[in-house]
Amino acid sequence: MNFEWSIIWRSREALLEGTLTTVLLSVVTMTIAIAGGMLLALMRLSRWRALSASSAAFVEFFRNLPLILVVYWAFYVLPELTGWQLDAFSTGLVALSLNVSAYNAETFRAGIMSIRKGQGEAALTLGMSEVQAMWHVVLPQAVRRVVPVLASTWISLFKDTSLVSVIGVSELAHVSLEIRAQSFRVLEMLTAMAAIYWALGYPQAKLVDWINRRYGHTE
Amino acid sequence: MNPVIEYRAVCKNYGSFVALRDVSFSVSKGEVVCLIGPSGSGKSTLLRCTNGLEQISGGAILLDGAPLPQTRAGMRAVRQRMGMVFQNFELFPHRSVFANVMMGPLTVLRMDHAAARARAEALLDKVGLADKAASMPAALSGGQQQRVAIARALAMEPAVMLFDEPTSALDPETIGEVLSVMKRLADEGMTMIVVTHEMTFARRVADRVVVFERGGVLLEQGPPRQIFDAPLMERTRDFLSHLDWSG
Ligand SMILES: Nc1ncnc2c1ncn2[C@@H]1O[C@H](COP(=O)(O)OP(=O)(O)OP(=O)(O)O)[C@@H](O)[C@H]1O
Ligand SMILES: [Mg+2]
Repeated sequence: MNFEWSIIWRSREALLEGTLTTVLLSVVTMTIAIAGGMLLALMRLSRWRALSASSAAFVEFFRNLPLILVVYWAFYVLPELTGWQLDAFSTGLVALSLNVSAYNAETFRAGIMSIRKGQGEAALTLGMSEVQAMWHVVLPQAVRRVVPVLASTWISLFKDTSLVSVIGVSELAHVSLEIRAQSFRVLEMLTAMAAIYWALGYPQAKLVDWINRRYGHTE
Repeated sequence: MNPVIEYRAVCKNYGSFVALRDVSFSVSKGEVVCLIGPSGSGKSTLLRCTNGLEQISGGAILLDGAPLPQTRAGMRAVRQRMGMVFQNFELFPHRSVFANVMMGPLTVLRMDHAAARARAEALLDKVGLADKAASMPAALSGGQQQRVAIARALAMEPAVMLFDEPTSALDPETIGEVLSVMKRLADEGMTMIVVTHEMTFARRVADRVVVFERGGVLLEQGPPRQIFDAPLMERTRDFLSHLDWSG
């Protein structure tokens, strides 16, 4: 068997672009999903039944569907439902955001509920409104407490972005597999892909370990 | 004199459980009232009903002659006039001591930063913690944290202060510093309702002692001398004799 490792070097530009797309997709997804997850968590904990029920339904729906199914759904069904023709990147972004928002919603909800009841009461006792108590007292502590969980969600997300290759988003996995298909250099391209994911993922995983040590067991 | 707070046949049920049964008494301006009684007799419940953390099931609580409002906004306004100090401090752990004391004036009174700062400085000085302003709560002893909590409540310039066992979670050596801050507050004329097991404090500082018993019943009330030296009720004597204290 002969190898042709130079294919990796010759594909460097495409690989770099794919890598950047993966990073961009992860960053934008997480940004949306942090805001979306927070909103869903606050809706879920709201006094208004309609808000909390719709948030619960959303979260339980998307959290329990395989991501790949959501990706296909966003690709085939969403345009039919909404009439929007999104490009592949945006479609992938929608699917990932729905999924990760649902996860983050549960993370934030657990974080908020883990804050002692007395904290909110102390804030109310000062004369704060419930919104002020949540914003100034409960949320800052809850967010700090769930940083480690958000960090591991991020690690999963970074790898899960490869799933949107099935709808043709030219992120790292898709680019690598395309080059493989054209060049028949399976082993080389899979190795390159693995090396890049690993080289990006490993430092992140180490960072998460550090975050866990730092935030994991404080009050 | 008109009472600042008046309890009229206050009842509180949790489902079928009765936590307070027909409790009536009143607190005048500048008066220090200590609530004592066995665990589960409804002392905390009464304080929590007083500032609307719990809703009463019957009777009425009057503040300056007016029943506590039913609306959220109304209750917020009432809470601004009542400071509350909790057994386990409930300082905001993510904010500095200074920020804790400024929190009420800044967010609720919308006071400007310089004024809030000046008020917080004066209050931290008053409770003897001016040098801890920049510390985080976790870096303080229990007694220090509780003094910060008192300063935080005072920052709203309340008309009444409610204390729920403010020294029960403290190491013995830091109890004194908290009680002396409370004594000073009482001497300055603050109206205070204090749930406590510190009988020495109740005897020295209270104008009136109110004794509760199991079932949320007000057993008897009177000046400390009467309650501690010549209680009318046999059960008050029983309760006091089972406490380990030297009055
Ligand atoms: N949210 C609640 N739901 C049900 N029962 C409650 C609730 N809060 C308090 N109770 C009950 O009401 C009774 C009175 O409680 P409360 O905390 O007021 O007593 P306390 O006099 O403050 O006692 P302690 O000295 O132990 O603090 C207790 O039997 C308690 O179990
Ligand atoms: Mg109690």
